[in-house]
Amino acid sequence: MSRAQALTPTGTILSYLILGGWAFIVLFPLFWILTTSFKLPVQVYDGPVYLPYVDFTPSLHAWRYIFVDLRGDTLRPLMNTVIVALSSSVLALALGTTAGYGLLRFRYAPRYGVIGLFLAAVLLAAVAVRLRVPWQIALASSLAVFFLARQTVGRRFRSSVGNDDISFWMISQRILPPVAVVIPIYVMFQRLGLLDTRLAVIITYTAVNLPIVVWLMRDYFRNISVELEESASIDGASPYRIFRSIILPLSTPGLAATFLLVLVFSWNEYLLALFLTSANAQTLPLLIAAQNATRGPQWWYMSVLILIMIAPVILMAIALERYIAKGLLVGALKG
Amino acid sequence: MLTDRKLRGTGSPNGPVPLSFLGQGLAAWVDRQARFLFLLPAVLLLILLSIFPLIFSVYLSLVRFQLVPGGFRFRFVGLANYRKLITGIEREHFLGLLASPAPLIWALAGVIAAVLLLFVIRGMVRGRSTLPAMAGRAVFALIAGTLVWLILRTLTSGGRPGSLVTTMVYVFIGITVQYWLGLTLAYLTSQHLPGRRFFRVVFLLPMMITPVGIAYMFRILANLGIGPFTPLWEALGLAEVSWASDPWGARIVVMIGDVWQWTPFMFVVLLAALESQPLELLEAAMVDGASRWQTFWRVTWPQILPVTSTLVLIRMIEGFKIIDLPNVLTNGGPGTATESLTLHAFIAWRTLDIGGSAAVAYALLFLVTFMALSYINLVHRRLAGAM
Amino acid sequence: MNVRRQLRLSLALLVATVLVSAVSVPAASSRPFAGVTVNVLTFTGPQIAEPLQRRGPAFTRLTGARINVVTVPFSDLYQKILTDLATGTNSYHAFVFAPQWMVDYVTPGYLEDITMRVSADRNIQWADIAPFFRNFSASFGGRVYTIPLDGDFQMVYYRSDQLRRFGLQPPQTWEDYLRVAQALHRKDLNGDGRADFGSCIAKKRGAQSYWMIWSVAGALLQSQGTNQGAFFDVDSFAPLTNNAAFAEALRIYTETTRYGPPDELNWDVGDSRAGFMTGRCGLSLDWGDIGTLAIDPKTSKVKNKVGAVILPGSRRVLDRRTGQLVACNSTTCPHATGGVNHAPFAAFGGWSGGINKAAPARVKDAAYAFMSYMSQPAQANVDVTIGITGFNPYRRSQFQNTNLWVKAGMSAAAARNYLGAIEASLGSPNMVLDLRIPQNQRYQQVVLDTAIAKLLAKQITIEQAMKEITDGWEAITNELGRDQQSQAYRSALGVKR
Repeated sequence: MSRAQALTPTGTILSYLILGGWAFIVLFPLFWILTTSFKLPVQVYDGPVYLPYVDFTPSLHAWRYIFVDLRGDTLRPLMNTVIVALSSSVLALALGTTAGYGLLRFRYAPRYGVIGLFLAAVLLAAVAVRLRVPWQIALASSLAVFFLARQTVGRRFRSSVGNDDISFWMISQRILPPVAVVIPIYVMFQRLGLLDTRLAVIITYTAVNLPIVVWLMRDYFRNISVELEESASIDGASPYRIFRSIILPLSTPGLAATFLLVLVFSWNEYLLALFLTSANAQTLPLLIAAQNATRGPQWWYMSVLILIMIAPVILMAIALERYIAKGLLVGALKG
Repeated sequence: MLTDRKLRGTGSPNGPVPLSFLGQGLAAWVDRQARFLFLLPAVLLLILLSIFPLIFSVYLSLVRFQLVPGGFRFRFVGLANYRKLITGIEREHFLGLLASPAPLIWALAGVIAAVLLLFVIRGMVRGRSTLPAMAGRAVFALIAGTLVWLILRTLTSGGRPGSLVTTMVYVFIGITVQYWLGLTLAYLTSQHLPGRRFFRVVFLLPMMITPVGIAYMFRILANLGIGPFTPLWEALGLAEVSWASDPWGARIVVMIGDVWQWTPFMFVVLLAALESQPLELLEAAMVDGASRWQTFWRVTWPQILPVTSTLVLIRMIEGFKIIDLPNVLTNGGPGTATESLTLHAFIAWRTLDIGGSAAVAYALLFLVTFMALSYINLVHRRLAGAM
Repeated sequence: MNVRRQLRLSLALLVATVLVSAVSVPAASSRPFAGVTVNVLTFTGPQIAEPLQRRGPAFTRLTGARINVVTVPFSDLYQKILTDLATGTNSYHAFVFAPQWMVDYVTPGYLEDITMRVSADRNIQWADIAPFFRNFSASFGGRVYTIPLDGDFQMVYYRSDQLRRFGLQPPQTWEDYLRVAQALHRKDLNGDGRADFGSCIAKKRGAQSYWMIWSVAGALLQSQGTNQGAFFDVDSFAPLTNNAAFAEALRIYTETTRYGPPDELNWDVGDSRAGFMTGRCGLSLDWGDIGTLAIDPKTSKVKNKVGAVILPGSRRVLDRRTGQLVACNSTTCPHATGGVNHAPFAAFGGWSGGINKAAPARVKDAAYAFMSYMSQPAQANVDVTIGITGFNPYRRSQFQNTNLWVKAGMSAAAARNYLGAIEASLGSPNMVLDLRIPQNQRYQQVVLDTAIAKLLAKQITIEQAMKEITDGWEAITNELGRDQQSQAYRSALGVKR
C-alpha cells in the first residue's frame, strides 16, 4: 500500500517510537512471566528481582515440576487443547464463511409462520422427551409434523424476516454470558453421553465461534467486486465453484485473520471446558486456573504453563501473518 | 447486490461430463439449492446449541433453586429474581447508590431528555414511519434516557455505580481506547517500514494468552509488594498509596489489563482490512497530490468502515461479558467497585443462587441487545451501507 | 493420523487389559477389590491431590482397587461436585472436599452415610481423631458422612524473634493483638532496611476475608461450647450479627487494617503467607499451613522464627438476651482460661473424604477402604508433617511424637510451640463450627463477604454493615424456608430437638 509515498524522516521516527513503545508494553509482562518461571517462590515473594544471574540465580524447579513431576497431566491437556482448538476453528471457518457469503449474496426470507412452526416442533420434541419418549423418536416425529404443517399452515403467513435479522440473530447468540448457559449445555451433552469427550468441546466451540466468523467474513466479502462473480456466473460457473475459486482466494487475509481469532478464542476458553470435561478431555486453561489453590497463586507454575500455551499460537501467528500480508498482492491483482 | 437468479446457474455446459443421469440430476439439484446449502449448516448448528439453553435459562431466571431431601427442586417465583435486582435487596449492588442530583445534573439531564424527545418527534414528523417504527423510537428514547439518568446519578459525587454502570464504563472506555490504538498500530504496520513483520507478530501476542492467565499476570504486575513496579512506585513517594483500595484506581487497573488484552483483536482485523483494500484508489489519490493524512481519511477510512463497524459491534458484545480481570485482580473489590455484570452473575451462580444469577445474565442480555440494536440501527446500517 | 493413533491406542489397551487380567486373576482372592476402579474427585494440587496420588499404588497392591484421582481447579470444585451429583451423571465415586459443603450434598441425599462402616472399622482408630472433627466436622445430624484427612482451624502466628526483640508477649486477646501489631508496625522486621507491617490478614473480597472476621468474632459471640453456635441463635434462628459483640468484632477487624500493608484489602491468603514467609509481617491470622511452609527453605526466610498461638479471645462476651457485652465469669464463660474466652474457629473444616451414594456397592466399599487407609495413623501421621500434602494435624497421636516434626526440619522448640498451639485449639470444647446450613455460601460468600469488603473500603459504616448482613441473611432464610434452615443449623451443631 502507498508504496510510492515514503514517510518523512520525522514521520519514520515517530512511527518507530509508537511501534517500539507498544512493543515494550506488550513484551514487558511476558518478560516478567519468563523470569518468574525461573524463580524460587521465596524470590518471587521477596520483592521484585529483574535479571537472571544478575539479581537472582535462576532455578528450573517450576519447569521440572510441570514437565517431570506432572508429565502426562501437562501433555494430555496440551494435546486436547491443540486438537479441540484446531478442529473447532476449521469447522467454524468452514460453516461460517459459507453462511457469511450466503447472507451477503442471496436473499433469504423465511416466513414468521415457518419459524413459529419450527419452534413449536422443537417444543413438541422437548415435551415428548420430558414424557420419556426416546429422543430419536421424538425428533423424527416432530420433524415430520413440521414438514407436514409447513405445506399447509406455514404458507398462510406472508411477512418474513430478512438477511439482517438472520445476521443479528446469529450474533445475538454470543450475548448471553457462558454462566447462564453452561448448565443447560452440560445437561444436553450428558443426555447424549458425550461428557468428557473432545467431540462435545469441539461442537460447543464451533457453535460459539460461528457468529464471529459469519460477521467478519461477510464484511471481507463485501469488499470483493460483484462484477468478477457476475462474469464467472455468465461463464456458467456454479455458485460453489465461484465461491471456491474466486471468493475464497480473494479473501485470504480475512480468512487468515478470522481463523487466528477463533483459534485463539477456543484455545483459551475456560468455563465451558471446565464443565464439559473432567479427566480425559481437560484443556490447558483449566490447568492454569488450577494453579491458584488453597495456598495462593503458584506464580512460578502458572508462568511456565502460560509460556507453554503461547508458544504454539505464536508459531501459528507467524505462519498466518504471511497470508495477512499477501492481501497486498491480491489487491493488486484485482484491478 | 447480485440477485440470486443470476447465481443460480444450472451447472456448466463445458464442465466435466457427469457420470450418470442420476449424478447429473443430483448435481443440478445441489446447484439449485445453493442458497440454502450455504446458510443451513450454520443455522442448524446454532439452533441445536442455542434453543434449549436459551429456553432453559429463561426458566431458571424465574425460579429458585432449592436442595431438598431426595434431590433438588425449582420453585417458580415469577419475576421475584428481577424484582430483587431493581427494587429489592440487590438494588444497590446492581444499579448502584443514587446521588441526589445537583443542579448541573438536572440541567444535563434536561438537555439529554430534550434531544431524545426531538429524536422521537422527528421520527413522527417524517411521516413515512409506521406504527412499529414509532413505537421502537419511543422505547429507544425511554431506555436510553433511563440509562443516562442512572449513569449521571451514580457517577456523580455521593453516588456509587453498581455492576450495571461499572460494566458500561469498562465497555465504552475500553473499546474507544482499543479501537484507536489498534487502528494506529495497524496503519503503521501496514506501511513499508523495515521490521514491520516483527511488530505485527509481537502485537498479536497478548491475544494468545488465556484470559485467566492474563488476569493473573496483571495481578502480579500490579502487586505493590512483589510486582516489578514496586521500586518505581516507592520512589514516587506513593508507598502508602494503593490502587486496590481506591475504586477508580482499581477500575483503571482492570481497564489497563483489558486494553492490553484486546487491542490485538482490533489490530489484527483492521490490519487485514487495510491490507485488502484496493490499491488503485490510493494511487489515484496520490496522483491527485493528496497528503497522507487526507488519503487516509478520504480513501482508506471509508473503505474499512464496514469492518470497523462490525468490529466495534463484536467487541461490544464481548466486552460486556468482561469477567476474568475483575475476578482475579480484585474479586470485584474494593467493596463492589470493580464488579461487572458477568462477575455479579458468576458469584451468584457459584453460590447456588441459580435463579438470581440467571436474572442478572438476562438483565445483561436485555442491555446488550438494546445496545447492539441501537448501534446497528443508528450506526452500523449507515457505515456498512456507506460502501 | 488421528484415527491410526486411536486404533493403535485401543489395540495397545486391549493387549494390556488381557495381560493384566491374566496376571491378576490368580491374586484376586487375596485382594478384595481386584478390578475395581475408584474415581476420586478433588482439586488440582499438589496439596491434597498429591498424597492421594502417591498412596494410590500402595493401596492397589494391598487391595486391588485402582485409584483414579481426577482434579479440577479449586475455585470450581464445589459446583463441579454438585453438578455431577444433581444431574445424575455420577462420574465420580468419591470426593475429597471441604466438609462445610457437606450439608448441600447430604440434604438431597447424595452422600453415603458411613456411620456403620466407621464403627465396624478398627483400623481407622476413630477415637484417636480429635473430638471436634469426629463429632462435628465429620457428622451431620448425628450421622457420619466423611472421613477427616486434614485438620483445619485458624490460629495466630507471630514472629518469635521480633516479639522477644521488643519485649512483647504473644497475644491472648484481640486487644493484645492490636497492641502487638501497633508495636511492630513500620519496624524493619527482616533486615532489608524497609519498614514492614504489624499485621497481615487476607482481606481480599471473594477470598478468605469472611472467615477471618469470624475468627475475630467467634470468641465474642460463642462461650458455652461448640453446640451453642456462633452464627445464629439456635432457638430463634436470628442472626448474631446485630449486637454489641459483632460491632466490637467489626471494629477490631477494621482496626487491624491500620497496621497492615497499604493494599491489604487486595491480599488473599497467598499474599499474606508470602508476606509472612519473607519476614514482612509481624503477625498473621491463618490456618495450620504456615507451620509447615515456614520450614521449607524454598518458600521461607523465617525458619524457626515463627510462633503460633490459639486464636486470641475476649474478656467480654455476648449476652444473647440483651445483645450487650458482659464480663467473663464462671457462668458466662465456662470454658475460659485465665478469664479469657477462646473460641478457635474451624474455618472451612479440613479436607475430608466422602462417598457417592449412587456408586455401585463394591466401588463404595473400595472407596471407603481407601479413605480409611488415608486416615489411618500409619499413613496420616507421616503425611501431616509433609508441607506439600497440605494436611494439618487432626489426631491426638500426631502431637505425641515431635520427632517427626524435627525430622521435617523444625527445631524442637518450634515444634513444641506449634503443636502446643494446635493442641490447645483442638482441645477446646468451645471450638466454632463453620456455618453449615443449605446454601451457606450465599450467606457467607455473598452477603457477609460483600458487606465486609464495603466496610473495609469505607463505603459503609459498622452500623450499616451490621444491618446489611442481618437483612441479607434474613432474606435468604426467608427465601429458602426458615424451618428447613433452622433445622439444618441444629443438626449441624448436634442439638437434639
